[in-house]
Amino acid sequence: MSLIDDFLARWHEYRRPGYYEEFDYHWTMTVDLDRCTGCEACVTACQAENNTPIVGEDAIARGRHMQWMRVERYWEGEYPDVKLRAIPMFCQHCDAAPCETVCPVSATYHNQDGLNAQIYNRCIGTRSCAVYCPYEVRYFNYNNHHWDEPLDQQLNPDVSVREKGVMEKCTFCIQRIRQAKDAAKDDGRRRVQDGEVQPACVQTCPTEALVFGDRKDPDSAVSLMLGNERAYTVLEELNTDPSVVYLKKVDADAA
Amino acid sequence: MPNIDRRSFLTLVGAGGVGAGAGFMLSESRKHPVEHLVPYPVPPEEFSPGIATWYNSVCSMCSAGCGISVRTREGRAKKIEGNPAHPVSQGRLCALGQSGLQALYNPDRITGPLVRAGRRGELEFDPATWEESLAELANQLELMRTAGRGGGVALLTGGVRGHLASLLELFMSWLGSDQLLHYDFNHPATLYAANERFFGESELPYYDIENSRYVLSFGADFIGHWLSPVHHGLGFGRSRQARDGIRARFVQIEPRMSLTGAAADEWIAANPGTEGILALGIARRIVDQGGYQGADLDAWRAALDGYAAESVAEQTGVAADTVARLADSFAETQPGLAIGGGATGNHSNGVDALVAVNALNHLVGNIGVEGGVIFNPPPAFGPTASRQAGLSRMLELAEDARAGRIEMLIVSNTNPVFNLPEAAGFAEALADIPQIVSLSTFLDETTAQADLVLPSHTYLESWGDDAPSPGVGFRVGAVSQPVVEPLYDTRATGDIVLELAHRMGLDLAFPWPNMEEYLKYSWREVWSSGTPDPAIPDFDTFWTSVVRAGVWGDETRAPGGEFAPDAGVVDGIGVGAPEFAGAEGEFPYALHPYLSNGLHDGRGANLPWMQELPDALTGVVYGSWIELNPVTAEELGLSEGDVVAIESPAGSIEAPVLVYPAIMPGVVAMPIGQGHEQYGRYAHEHGVNPIDVLAAQTEPGTGALAWAATRVRLVPTGGRVDLVKVGGDSRELGREIVQIADAGTPAAAGAPTVASATDAGAAVGIDVPAVGAEAAMANTRLNSIPITVVNT
Repeated sequence: MSLIDDFLARWHEYRRPGYYEEFDYHWTMTVDLDRCTGCEACVTACQAENNTPIVGEDAIARGRHMQWMRVERYWEGEYPDVKLRAIPMFCQHCDAAPCETVCPVSATYHNQDGLNAQIYNRCIGTRSCAVYCPYEVRYFNYNNHHWDEPLDQQLNPDVSVREKGVMEKCTFCIQRIRQAKDAAKDDGRRRVQDGEVQPACVQTCPTEALVFGDRKDPDSAVSLMLGNERAYTVLEELNTDPSVVYLKKVDADAA
Repeated sequence: MPNIDRRSFLTLVGAGGVGAGAGFMLSESRKHPVEHLVPYPVPPEEFSPGIATWYNSVCSMCSAGCGISVRTREGRAKKIEGNPAHPVSQGRLCALGQSGLQALYNPDRITGPLVRAGRRGELEFDPATWEESLAELANQLELMRTAGRGGGVALLTGGVRGHLASLLELFMSWLGSDQLLHYDFNHPATLYAANERFFGESELPYYDIENSRYVLSFGADFIGHWLSPVHHGLGFGRSRQARDGIRARFVQIEPRMSLTGAAADEWIAANPGTEGILALGIARRIVDQGGYQGADLDAWRAALDGYAAESVAEQTGVAADTVARLADSFAETQPGLAIGGGATGNHSNGVDALVAVNALNHLVGNIGVEGGVIFNPPPAFGPTASRQAGLSRMLELAEDARAGRIEMLIVSNTNPVFNLPEAAGFAEALADIPQIVSLSTFLDETTAQADLVLPSHTYLESWGDDAPSPGVGFRVGAVSQPVVEPLYDTRATGDIVLELAHRMGLDLAFPWPNMEEYLKYSWREVWSSGTPDPAIPDFDTFWTSVVRAGVWGDETRAPGGEFAPDAGVVDGIGVGAPEFAGAEGEFPYALHPYLSNGLHDGRGANLPWMQELPDALTGVVYGSWIELNPVTAEELGLSEGDVVAIESPAGSIEAPVLVYPAIMPGVVAMPIGQGHEQYGRYAHEHGVNPIDVLAAQTEPGTGALAWAATRVRLVPTGGRVDLVKVGGDSRELGREIVQIADAGTPAAAGAPTVASATDAGAAVGIDVPAVGAEAAMANTRLNSIPITVVNT
């Protein structure tokens, strides 16, 4: 074995996500930027599903908004040749996640489905993970949030309400994944089929820009999307190996 | 040791015991109250603790009429999603639609009937009972009716459709009043009028974006909020990346880039109000280039004579070669689609402009073809004549009020005090109406003026139905059912009307005990209008199926065929220069108000999710702002956060500046929706309402408010605020976050389509999901019918 092969073998060993020999599922989302309009239906869907709080004007002014899904907007050019590029940004569920290595109490870890998971009651609120996250998609509870009665009746009972001092972020709607797995098990099947589980954002997207599924299933919709030539990952140079893959926006007038 | 006798000892012990007890009580009282688990041995039929129950219904947050599926757990609504079987939403839903939950569970809902105690507008109300309030109101109405003064009752509602609209018609005709008006700020009255003139029918057609290859939109923010944004979004996505090798091109013409403009391939700013002139310039070029060969070619040549490229370029500010390029590519790329609406339709020349857009479709043969404009069949049910009132009709109502011809105004879920310009004087005219009854769910600005408030249910607690408009090219009907039990002592609008009719002794004309029975009665007709199906032997089976599926209708679209406008229509084509309120010298900027996709016309302002939803183009939350071109801002020496007074001939408001890269110099854009004085804690005291400074300018043909036809001047106040925004740097700074592929990339068009559970071809009609259909029984109290009990 040459030195280089040896190095590569060790590198892959080191880089093996979450120290799993193999993931059970490899949940992946693709975002087609040529379909996305930036309408933010996904933002509200996420907020409704995941009990993310209403923080108030003052908190947002201090940069403490809590929506796990956000739409970033970037302007290009100047009037009149000006374009707006919108991109939904949320936890990328990196397989080599910087946030996981930095947590002093292992509150954030990689699970056997390739998800970057957060254990709320282990989190001690150092906020290191948020500093390490290059996508800035981790949100810290600076306060205990409350819902004016009876708004609290809407809260999703499948998702815990987080308290002050805890970091939180997109989970790929892990509660829906669990339920799909349970349903598959009750059905006597071993695996969840493609299309049986969709996170809230994917479910609601009016332009069908978001596709979610198991990358390990070569016939899944998401695997087909991954084969698209437009596929790329954001901040690829950081080697975070995200599970969210974007499809480039098409500029019809580009040379 | 002190000498203690038995009596003292017992006294001390007793006192100690009392003290300990008191201390214990004190500490207990400071703890959280004890919560008891209540056993639930016999739950209602479809409650399984821990298992969700889904109900299909219809969204009422805007006028699109999307089908929804509502997830409930233990009798509480948890999540609203699109109904996959409904052809409008196809399983998808917008941000506002999903926030319907916060209308239902809004802490500022009116919880029971109220009667005014103080002076009008002082918000002093005493609680009342339904029994007394309805008895008294019915008595008054009956006295007026029998005395022949029923015409003095005016009923003003939001955009109501379906059988509730029919019921209101019936009620008002029994009263002998023709003052039944629908007021909806966003109602496209000028589009109806333009379609009436050009197509000969006052209906909205189906815009087949999904199958189109070229969409040329004049001012219509069809992805953001216009007509049916969810359905348009579906079409947009599929026209872009669902067909092999075909990717539609979108061109948006508007003075300020909207969400649709941002999503389009090309955004072109034309001078405000000249979009129709631009459309005719394009039409002229198409005719000149031989793109149109109809028998009436000469008439078209004559009508378009005045729209040569140079003069069009001069009026619109769009270069002549751009006009030519647009014309050539629009004529070349078939099928294409020209859409007009939004601000384009709300100038003084709105109807003419929209007729010009319709003409473009005709010239290139896009009418009645797949991927073009397809006519809708008449609505499956509900009244055909429109009761929508424009500004001039509302002014007539105000005039009637001033003249003492209106004795009673009943307002139902519309807010004209907020949504009409102050200059129209509608709010003042209310003072001349002796009695105002509000059937609103919320204490909005109009309800604040009411003498009697009979609060209605939200749509998630009511029975109703809807035939969406615009339709999808074929007949669709949908039933809206209660998904939770009413939270408060409120009643459905339909039930209030029926109850009033019964108390007025009109039982024979209104034989239905409640709205649900009225719907069932009416849907018998719908049932018999459909194709008989051996699987649906009787009406009850039909009703159960429809309510469970949430939708009924046809499944295929017949594009239609040949269309030719009447000769007189062609001769009359022409768009004049827009007229603005305010002279250009005195008021140098055109005010461009726009609806946002979250707050809509202001109705979304009481929903905290919508207040915290960053504006789709600027990221601003909670506030109001004006948008200025960077050059304009620099000329005025203004930067972000500088507060200016926006002064029009009709009034003045103050708002901070936001420098917006995609707006014409000389235009001031401002979002509608904030600036509520009432409407609950979340809406109250955020921003200002640009409708307040609009002049009472109308489109002369329809009398609709020309809300884009006011000029303003900007006066810096010297104040500064920090605009609250979400998001970081507005430029990518070389980070390559959003990457761009050019059109030459082989796989760019025709990405693999995704067959999801909510696929396009999902069955429309009365096919019902089979799983657990037998198990899903009607809720004994609500009679609602869940889809099926599923473990999600």
